[in-house]
Formats: sequence, structure tokens, C-alpha cells
Amino acid sequence: MNSIVSLVRTRYSLESIGSSISESLNLINFNLDSSIKSVVIKPNLCYYWDAATGQTTDPQVILGIIDFVREKCGKHVDIKVAEADASAMRTKYAFTVLGYKKLAREKNVELFNLSNDHLEEKTVVVGKHELKFQVPQLLLNCDLFINVPKLKVMRETKITCAMKNIFGCIGFPRKVIYHKYLDEAIVGINRLLRPHLTIVDGLIALGRFPVKLGLIMAGVDPFSVDWVASQILGYTPSKVRFLKIAMKDGIKNPEGIATRGASVAEFKKNLQKPKFTSSTYWFNAQSWLLKVYCKMADDVIPPFLEEA
Amino acid sequence: MIRVGVIGLGRMGMLHLMNCLKLDGVEVIAVADSSKKALKKAESVGVKNVYADYHDLLKHSSDIDTVVMSLPNFLHLEAIQLALEAGLDVFTEKPMANNVEECRKIVKLVEKSGRKFMVGHCMRFVDAVEKMKNALDKGSIGSLEVTTIEEITNGPFSYGRIPAPVSDWWFDPKKSGGGALIDIGYHMIDLFRFFAGDARVDFSRLGYKFNLPVEDGAIVMLSSSGSSAKGIINVGWYQKSTFPKYNFRVILHGNAGFLSSDDLVPRNLYFHALKEGSKNFLRRIVGKKICPLSYTYYYESFYKELEHFFDCVSKDFDPLVSATDGLKTVEIIQEAYEKFRRESVN
Repeated sequence: MNSIVSLVRTRYSLESIGSSISESLNLINFNLDSSIKSVVIKPNLCYYWDAATGQTTDPQVILGIIDFVREKCGKHVDIKVAEADASAMRTKYAFTVLGYKKLAREKNVELFNLSNDHLEEKTVVVGKHELKFQVPQLLLNCDLFINVPKLKVMRETKITCAMKNIFGCIGFPRKVIYHKYLDEAIVGINRLLRPHLTIVDGLIALGRFPVKLGLIMAGVDPFSVDWVASQILGYTPSKVRFLKIAMKDGIKNPEGIATRGASVAEFKKNLQKPKFTSSTYWFNAQSWLLKVYCKMADDVIPPFLEEA
Repeated sequence: MIRVGVIGLGRMGMLHLMNCLKLDGVEVIAVADSSKKALKKAESVGVKNVYADYHDLLKHSSDIDTVVMSLPNFLHLEAIQLALEAGLDVFTEKPMANNVEECRKIVKLVEKSGRKFMVGHCMRFVDAVEKMKNALDKGSIGSLEVTTIEEITNGPFSYGRIPAPVSDWWFDPKKSGGGALIDIGYHMIDLFRFFAGDARVDFSRLGYKFNLPVEDGAIVMLSSSGSSAKGIINVGWYQKSTFPKYNFRVILHGNAGFLSSDDLVPRNLYFHALKEGSKNFLRRIVGKKICPLSYTYYYESFYKELEHFFDCVSKDFDPLVSATDGLKTVEIIQEAYEKFRRESVN
């Protein structure tokens, strides 16, 4: 699989985003033509926080992709913007709150809840874990599946970008059940679902705080995209556990990953990395202390702070 | 011993249940909720009678004296009516009801029943707010001229450490009565009334950034009916925030000085938790009563409001917050909604 990842600087305007998308796809030699009849675009709408928080894909990027696809594949190509429900997020609200409903009206595209699709249960073994996934068939049957993740850090997995956004495609909403072995689950679902193209929304990236990064990244291989994304976010890719597992699992070898366009260093310098190692310990220590204190002092834990 | 039934075991209801279990002179006899998980949790903390439907709890009203209710807004009127008619004292979560008409009915029902009734205006029991009220009443800042009160949070979008989706009723104006204004603004408007007395609406702007049928932000300007005091209320559901960060503040501007809640809340909530936790731990060792939730600072107000209510029940006092307070707060909210709608049309 093509291991080239393009990095293109963009400004926050639909025109600039559109031309950056076009440039980034040219750099990886990705061509679209009129043989493509059905396209599914999967943004990251993990919760109701809009693009300015760095948490969710900016609708402007999706607009740019829709225009580009229509330009190359023709006006009548069927385009669906798809997301699945999550443990706390419901797509029916996320589409509205995050401006996708408006986008769908303006661009005449369909908003699709992957949790309501025909779901097929598939089992994958990753390491010692046998994982079951509900796989939306739409993503397997379309002509072009475009993955549009955000570029951000996450306490559990260090980074969340291309491969983690595929985890968001799992049809079963209560994905929190996978969080005990999240890295394995990310690798597992990526064995079942392979997007044809990944375009990363790095307009606003989420490091310690949201940062206006002005980046569009593209690649056909989610592993390669995540390898480069890790570097931008300040992590050594080989130390990101799900990438390590993916290598062991034979999904991909990092050899041959190359970037085109702007340099990683150009974007890396703007991001401040959170200290997750200590914060994870601190978080667990707080929970433990709270439980011990409440037991010893016979005090109350507000339900908000209670664990499952 | 006051025998209590807790109706509704969502996040607030569960907190009220836990607080009831810590209160002296209070015994939780029964709980009601449609969630099996919540009922199981209640059983695990020693509640013997659990009901999936609150009507069943009220059918056994002879076993209880008082109910503590935390139901979705649209269920308040019916539940309050049934409880009062069953001869029970009632504590209900805010808002008292979804609209002025329902609130008026509740006021009449409370008067007719002669039972104790209180709405959960917990912000009046926040330590910083209590201190500000005392200082104002003592004349420390002269006469109150302008009050700014704001709270910007996640609103219903917040979830605890166990992720769960937002209930649909929040976004149905018929069921919720509105958005951020009736949810958070309710408390802020009540605080203005607490400091400055009754009020009328001068200006109202609602925000719909989230494209939902209910507002996610509101700015309302108020004038006190009995003095020259003005109020600026600023509330929103649009901010990603996580406890212990809490974007809430009150500033009282008087003609002889000012008071800000920012100067009265602990600067470091972790240090505060450590200090208060240690105190409670020592209290427990020497056999004294602990101050539940004092380590969280803000959540303590929920314990204090219930403690006050049960004190009023046992000693036959009138609660600090009456049904009329609930009505007047909703009247201001409705006026703000109507003013915004009228001006949007024009």
C-alpha cells in the first residue's frame, strides 16, 4: 500500500481548504474519476464540541471534500456523510449541533447513522484478545470510503487520528466496552475496515490546548498517516502502542513511509504536548484516594465522579 | 425520624439519595426510578422498597412523610400534585415547573395542602454566596447597584466518568421548558432575587449556536423592582468543562465597594479537598458528625439545602425557598423568553 503522506499548509477559508485538499491528493497521486458512483465520508464527530475545540472534524473540510469529489466524479455522485453513535454521543444531535445538518441541506448530501446500517458481526483476534465488532456494511460496499479524522492527543492512546477514527465506525454505540483494550480494538477494526483515502483535518489540532495548526494531511494508508501524525503531535511513533501492535499484527511496516509537501517540523513546533503519563497516574491516584477517603470518613462520592 | 421517599434517581436524584442517607433524623424508606440499574444501586446502599414507577411509591404514602423529587421538568407538576394530595412534604429539584401556569397551580396546591414545600435553589447554599449575602445585608458594600452573575458549563452535555447519552427530553421545549436559561439561568436569576429582591426583564438575548430547538446561551438584564439595582445574567451550555473547573461567578457592585465570588471560593480545589477531607477524617475519629461533600466545595450546597429542608420539616419552620420563589423565578424566565421572541419578530 502507498505509504506516502502529504502535508499541506492551509488557511481558514473554504477556497484555501479546497485547494489544499486538491494539492494534498496530487502529492500522493490519488486520482478520482467518473467511475466512482458512491462515496462515504466519515468525519470524527466524537461528541458535541465543535471544530473550534479541536475535538471534531470541521464541516468546512467536509465541504471542501464534497466539492472536490463532485468536480472529479460528476455532479450526480451519491455522497453520504456517515458517523456512528457513541457511548455518550448520538449522531442525530451531533449532526445538528456541529453544523452538518446545515451542510447536508446546502450540498444535498445524505447524513447517515452507521449504527442504523446493516451491521455484520465479525470476530478478530488481536494478540490475546478475541474482539467482536459490528461492522456497517455501507463502508464495505461503497466505491470510495474517505476517512476524515482530527489530529489530536488522547490520554488512553496518546494520539487519535486516522486509525482511531475507524474505531468510531463500529456500529455498536457503547464503544466504551472496548476501552479496557482500546489499542487492540483500534487495530482489530482497522483489519476489517480499510478506507480508500484519509484526509486529516489539522486546521485546529488538539495538543494540551486547541492550536490553530492550518494543516491538511492526506494518505491512502491510515497506519502511515498515524505514523506521521504521531511525529507532529510530539510522540515517537514506535512508542504509540496501537501502532506497535499494528506492526506486530502485520498490518503495516513503517519502512517506506515518506512525507511530501511541507515538513513535519513546521507543524510540530506549534504543539504543546500534555504530560499524559503523569496525568494518567494522577487521575487513577485521585480515584483511589477518593474511594479510600469516602470509605474511611463515611463521606459521599458525587455520582458524577463515580466509576462504573 | 422523618421517613423519606426519593423519586427519580438520575444524577441529581442519586446525589439526593446519598445525602439523605447521611442526614440525622432522616430514614430513606423507598425510592422510585424507571432505571433498573439505579434501583439496584439504591438497594446496594440499604433502601428496602424500590419502585419502577413513582405512582407505586406514592400508593404506599402512609409509610413515608416526605418526598425528594428529581424528575425531568415536564413531570414536576403531576408528581408534586400527587405527593401533596397524599399529604406529604415535598422537596423538588428546580425548575419548579416548565411554565408560569404550572407554577401557579403548584403555589395553590402548596397553600391548600399546608405541607412543607421547597424547591432546590442550591446556589443560595454555596458557601461563597452565603458569605456575600451576609456581607451585603450588613451593608459592607453600601447599596447594591449592579450584580453580574454568570455560569457557563457543558449543561446537559456533561457526563460523568461513565459516559451516557443526553436524555431526549432536554431538547424538547415542551418537556424541558427551554434550554440554558431555564436550566442554569434559573439559578442565576434566583440569585439576583436573593440579593436584590423581585425583578423585571429589561433585555434578553438567546443563543442558538448548537442549532437545537432550545437555547444554548442567554444574556438577560434585570432591574430590581424595589431598588436601583440592575442585574446581568450570562449563562451557557456551550463550554467544554470538567470538574473541578467551574466557570461560575457572582460580582456584587455596591456604591461603597464590591464583592466577587472569585475571591471567596478556594483558589485550589485539590488543596481544599485535602484540607476538608482531613477535617472530616478527624471528625470521624473523634466521633463527631462529618460535613458531607465539603471536600468538593460546590456539591456541599446540595447537602446543605436538604439539611435545611428537613430541619424545617422537623422544627416546623418555613423553608428559605418557597413555592412563590419558584413561581417568581419562572415568571422572569418566561418574560425573558417572550421579550426575546417579540424583539426577534420585530
